[in-house]
Amino acid sequence: MARKAYVSSVGFTPVGDHWEKSIIDLAVEAARGALKGSGVKNPGQIIVGNMFSAVGASQEHLGALLASALGLSGTPAYKIEAACSSGGAAFNVGYNLVRSGAVDSALVVGVEKMRDLEPEEVSQALAMAESAEYTQFVGATFAALNGLLARYYMEQKNVTRDELSSIPVLDHANAVTAAHAQFRKAITPEVVGRSAMIADPLRLFDCAPVGDGAAAAMIVAEGGASAGKGKLSEVLGGKIATNEFSIYERDDMLDFKATRDAFRGATAEAGISPKKLSLVEVHDAFSVVGALSLEAMGFSKPGEGSRDAKAGKYSRGGELPINTFGGLKARGHPVGATGMYQIVEAYLQLTGQAGKNQVEGAQYAATQNIGGVDSTSAVHVFGRSS
Amino acid sequence: MAIRHWRVKDRYYRLIGSRCTECGAECFPPVYRCRKCGSEKIEDREMPQSGKIVTYTQLHEPLPGFEAQAPFYLAVVELDNGAKMLTQLVDSTDESVKTGAKVVATVRRARVDGDSGQITYGYKFRVT
Repeated sequence: MARKAYVSSVGFTPVGDHWEKSIIDLAVEAARGALKGSGVKNPGQIIVGNMFSAVGASQEHLGALLASALGLSGTPAYKIEAACSSGGAAFNVGYNLVRSGAVDSALVVGVEKMRDLEPEEVSQALAMAESAEYTQFVGATFAALNGLLARYYMEQKNVTRDELSSIPVLDHANAVTAAHAQFRKAITPEVVGRSAMIADPLRLFDCAPVGDGAAAAMIVAEGGASAGKGKLSEVLGGKIATNEFSIYERDDMLDFKATRDAFRGATAEAGISPKKLSLVEVHDAFSVVGALSLEAMGFSKPGEGSRDAKAGKYSRGGELPINTFGGLKARGHPVGATGMYQIVEAYLQLTGQAGKNQVEGAQYAATQNIGGVDSTSAVHVFGRSS
Repeated sequence: MAIRHWRVKDRYYRLIGSRCTECGAECFPPVYRCRKCGSEKIEDREMPQSGKIVTYTQLHEPLPGFEAQAPFYLAVVELDNGAKMLTQLVDSTDESVKTGAKVVATVRRARVDGDSGQITYGYKFRVT
């Protein structure tokens, strides 16, 4: 019988330019926040979520490196990699270790150092989430794949430029009051529609920015010796699913099957109806990906994700607030850390610590973290603990 | 960046993909197991050299090694046997590149490796 697992504290850095800090400086800063808040001195396991430290920082072996830096050498530690869903995947491992009884506590840290790279080096690093032999080989960047998807989506579903812009606009509106967000400035659909063309029809403001950051959470078992002192949010369910690897290998490119399956599995494990969710942190690395994610989770009908966002359904005060601190577009997307930022934000909401971004009365929250173009999806469901 | 292209030269020069000997489904890139029926009875199969554009984009900032070709079109192409693949488009005017346009395969210089200067060739498609 699985035990209950809780997040008992979190730690994180702002997302953006951290010229003065190395990848391990960032990881330590976030990890210390989670350790201090939880009162757990010796976590049973340390897990690092990270996508490309080898390329971004000439550094691998982040598990032992972080444990040692924290003065916790001896603790089992390793890195989990699943492209941009590395953070969500790392958390899923920690959650399952704790609920299975293997350990009483797990410290999960998502971290990415991107800004030390030149823009073309970032493109190359991100493209490694896709096939070397058949995607990188033709010169396609990750943005290009999403451009192909965006055109297909707009043509098949008659989605307009202004409709597609609605999720980036929503993100920026939410980030204005989010202290850790990378871009705290409201924008209009016109700004999105006039921004530089990246991969036609996707423009700069359809795309999540490049930034550094780290976010961490302490997972503790119910009544465990190391349960510590932090405010608790229960981890009610968590699943990872995969899709056919590349969009061009799928029968229906608009079906985010990994997200659909992971969401269904996570809510089933949690035993709650999706209708009970108070907020969702959605992986909108590109505007089109946000829309297709909302559709895959069943919140919008096929083709209606962007239109529903435009109508206000997903805004603060709407039917189902999403990306309450700005999402990937405005809070930022330090790729391997992003899944952990989402989990940190769900925790802040459910423990009443979201400040000006608080969703009043939040009871349940979900986080959805994608690797590739829905090649991997990690979904977790959290609840308020009384 | 080392991608050992010689290992997949038949894939790149002759569009050798997969055919499932159980259900007949064909695909490119090749697979280890049929996506349609699950069979592992897979054989190499030369793909048809023509198809149509499913979706496309124009890329201004490509991966390192492709700068000299930018901007260029990329497309998801559905071949005449139903296989969907990703490819560059060449020798095609802006007006001709559109969803549904017919395309045919051609062999071209794919990229030049920055460090060794090694030239790699491979498939591209053009609008007919």
